Amino acid sequence: MGNCLKAQSNDDISLLRGHDSQDSVEQALGPPPPYQEHVQQRMPVYHPAPNVSRTASQLTEEEQIKIAKRLGLISHLPTGIYDGSSKKGKECVICMGDFAVGEPLRILPCMHSYHKDCIDDWLMRSFTCPSCMEPVDAALLTTYETS
Amino acid sequence: MASMEKRLHKELQALTKEPPRGVHVDQESISRNITEWLVHLDGAEGSLYNGEKFQLVFKFSQSYPFDSPQVMFVGNNIPVHPHVYSNGHICLSILTDDWSPALSVTSVCLSIVSMLSSCTEKKRPPDNAIYVKTCSKNPKKTRWYYHDDDV
Repeated sequence: MGNCLKAQSNDDISLLRGHDSQDSVEQALGPPPPYQEHVQQRMPVYHPAPNVSRTASQLTEEEQIKIAKRLGLISHLPTGIYDGSSKKGKECVICMGDFAVGEPLRILPCMHSYHKDCIDDWLMRSFTCPSCMEPVDAALLTTYETS
Repeated sequence: MASMEKRLHKELQALTKEPPRGVHVDQESISRNITEWLVHLDGAEGSLYNGEKFQLVFKFSQSYPFDSPQVMFVGNNIPVHPHVYSNGHICLSILTDDWSPALSVTSVCLSIVSMLSSCTEKKRPPDNAIYVKTCSKNPKKTRWYYHDDDV
């Protein structure tokens, strides 16, 4: 069997020496690295509800489903590129920064628009429009029904 | 600069340039730390708090404005109001459940002034004594039950 580690495999050693040799191999290699902690540090943080922050491994199954559904719904909301026309408003009320020409925007069914990154971050926490507090999914359903 | 700090600087600029009546930011407190603001609030004319002066503390987390700021009254004059506990904690839904990133320090201050102004009888919340003894230091840790829309 192939093994890319330099240490001999347990099988080889047990043939040459007694079964006590297994311990010495483990000692030479040292304790296994704290693998899980490293993984957790790099994991993205999710917000199943406002004021709640969790890494993927801390989410309940229900929350994972909710997040997956939410991601799907968000991806169906229209996006646009700011072209300088004042029709869409000119400030993102989330970051309070002015829209710059060429920046990606997302337009909610209530016609309020925000920087795409700003609003997507909020929609993962609460599926409402920050400006009018209108629930986005209710508005989405009416759009589906009428079209 | 983190986006949270950028937004706080914008808010500070706007609040310094055009402060709403009876609201002013303590610039000295912010020059030390942008994530903690002291705001002076005057009781509105014609209200039960006319002539009184209050101080509010705003604490912002790194995820502001996605998470609401922690807001409470501090100092030696905590308004006597059915939604304000004697330790400075405020029962106001926009500070937790109804928070939106479109809200700001200015809009929170105006909501608090309006909450004070609509008060008709100066009294503490009925559960003040037990709450003050048992609550967390951080009012955001309290599970508020918003039951009264009148005041």
